[in-house]
Amino acid sequence: MLYRKTVRAFHRSPSSRNCREARAPVTWQVLLVRDHPLVFQVTCPLEGRAAIPPMEGTSLHSDGMRISTDSIPRFSYELPLPVADQSAPLPAAEGVAAVLQEALLIGNLLWFARLRWMAISVLAVFGVAGLIVHDLFPSLGLRPPIGWPFLIAAILLLANLVFLGHAHRIARNPSPRAATWNLWTQIVVDLLALTMVVHFLGSLETVTPFLYLAHIVLACIFFSRRQSLVVVAIASGFYVACVGLEHWQIVSAAGIYLDPGLRQGMASHPAYLWLTVWSALGIYFVVWFLASHLSGLVREQEAELAQANRLLTIAQQEKTRHMLRTTHELKAPFAAIAANAQLLLGGHCGILPDAATEVVRRIAIRCRRLAVEIQEMLQLANLQSADTPPPSVSLDLAETAQWAIARVGAVAQERRVTVDEQLASACVVAVEDHLKMLLTNLISNAIVYSAEGGIVRVRCDAMPPGGPVVTIEDEGIGIPQEKLPRIFDEYYRTEEAIRHNKDSTGLGLAIVRHVAVNHGIRVCVDSAPGRGTRFTLRFPFTG
Amino acid sequence: MSYLLIVDDDEDFATAVATVLRSGGHDVRIESELSAAIRTMTERRPDLVVLDVMFPENSTGGFEIAREMRWNHDTLKDVPILMLTAVNTRFPLGFSSKDIDEDWLPVTDFLEKPVDLDVLAERVAAILKNRRSAPASVPRHAP
Repeated sequence: MLYRKTVRAFHRSPSSRNCREARAPVTWQVLLVRDHPLVFQVTCPLEGRAAIPPMEGTSLHSDGMRISTDSIPRFSYELPLPVADQSAPLPAAEGVAAVLQEALLIGNLLWFARLRWMAISVLAVFGVAGLIVHDLFPSLGLRPPIGWPFLIAAILLLANLVFLGHAHRIARNPSPRAATWNLWTQIVVDLLALTMVVHFLGSLETVTPFLYLAHIVLACIFFSRRQSLVVVAIASGFYVACVGLEHWQIVSAAGIYLDPGLRQGMASHPAYLWLTVWSALGIYFVVWFLASHLSGLVREQEAELAQANRLLTIAQQEKTRHMLRTTHELKAPFAAIAANAQLLLGGHCGILPDAATEVVRRIAIRCRRLAVEIQEMLQLANLQSADTPPPSVSLDLAETAQWAIARVGAVAQERRVTVDEQLASACVVAVEDHLKMLLTNLISNAIVYSAEGGIVRVRCDAMPPGGPVVTIEDEGIGIPQEKLPRIFDEYYRTEEAIRHNKDSTGLGLAIVRHVAVNHGIRVCVDSAPGRGTRFTLRFPFTG
Repeated sequence: MSYLLIVDDDEDFATAVATVLRSGGHDVRIESELSAAIRTMTERRPDLVVLDVMFPENSTGGFEIAREMRWNHDTLKDVPILMLTAVNTRFPLGFSSKDIDEDWLPVTDFLEKPVDLDVLAERVAAILKNRRSAPASVPRHAP
């Protein structure tokens, strides 16, 4: 065994010390917190063709010439992670639009509350201005606001606190019905408050009635056409009621303008008054018609896209299931072939001629390669098909890396590659088998694509800024820059990799990609042809 | 010499396994029909059963046979079971001895196909050795 353990620096923090004790399943969401990433760094030669150890200061380039390593540039590539989980299955087609709408409602409850804080602030500032620069208003021909901005702001503030409390309860325990009730109550309260503002600023002589349009457009975006029409009807009703109450002097007309002539002119003849009111209502309905029509088109497209995505997800799952089934079906006859080849080689059927033994030996070798490929195909298919991932547990990164190094020890010995490990304890939350698979694949690649007699360095530093860092480094040949973005593709193998290692399945890094994506692990590849490749794994912070 | 029963519908595979086990000095019988497995065991109690999981008419037949032996037959409940299978339905990365469970997977040990026949022979020997050293209990994990 060619392990060389140079330094064992185990930095055990109180949390990492309890790693083994804290192996209870932890919720998946914890893994997705990325604000404080742990860092796991692996450096290895991913591919290369020469078994010639590079001379000091030189390396073998892809064209076989020895060149100075100082002049070889390093290239970096980071595996893109999805920004959000879009694999969640959607319900049946007819429910897609409804689900989108419900999600939109729940997601925007808090946004509406924030908008209301802004309205409350504007009203409060207006009210304060009425108190502080009281005398300024008459000089501008305006009536100073006395009390009413505070009254409306207080009503909105009280309502907002109630809405927010309710919205947070809904966020913890999602309920479309409760979210809808919350939103409709918000709309009615807002329209009432707006009607009060319209009354105090001037229902006829100012343009404040057009503020209703903001509510109407929002309703068109977030509600169905029929529901947004209800909002238009409520807004229209409130406005007509305001003007009617003022007209019949049930409520004394207010208004921001000091000059009474402005309002009296508008109200001097019923035709003027009702023409103004009906014009406003007409505009409300025109805007509603246009906005709801366009919003409906956008919503239909969203539903179609969601439906297409759902069908794609189903097709992918079906493909994966089919692949799993097929692979299993292939595995049984393959096991029989492999077993019978072993029988022949083991001498259970008598002594074979040398030529026949060589043929059977080749069959057995191909069987072993195929066994590895089948195993990796199954691993990959299972990773792709896992609707509910296995439970995550607290793991010591150093122990897991040591397990992976031990796992590939025979390969290292066979290829005369030294594994130099320097691992400090670092606690992460992950699916144990998946994390082992990820590290085993990367370290195995580092060994397999090293030159004979090379060194693979595995590092895990628990206390760098930002989190633990593990590095594996060797003297391999590396990956050309243009091939870096493709190395995580299924069955992708570079020509250099095939020349160096015929047993490569092209699935190892695809498995790494799936595990990394499932765990929210950021993977960065840093490579220089002729000098090696470094994989940097940044784990999400686990607290 | 021990009497070993191989329950596997794949005769090519079962024959290869039987050949290796017979060369180890054991008396080996192959039962390829799931429906006859329990009857064959009750006719002559085996010292160890090498059991497949998937059968043509029942994709989890091996599990059911194992449970039937453990739960419903006093004479068979202590017979060690070495399960061999290509299937993997519960855990994404394959069964292992850690998955052995009295209710779900009540077997003594587990090997995944394709299997190295030398490893299989070693595993059988280990189970039989444990069995002899602790006859009253079912060995749970072979080394």
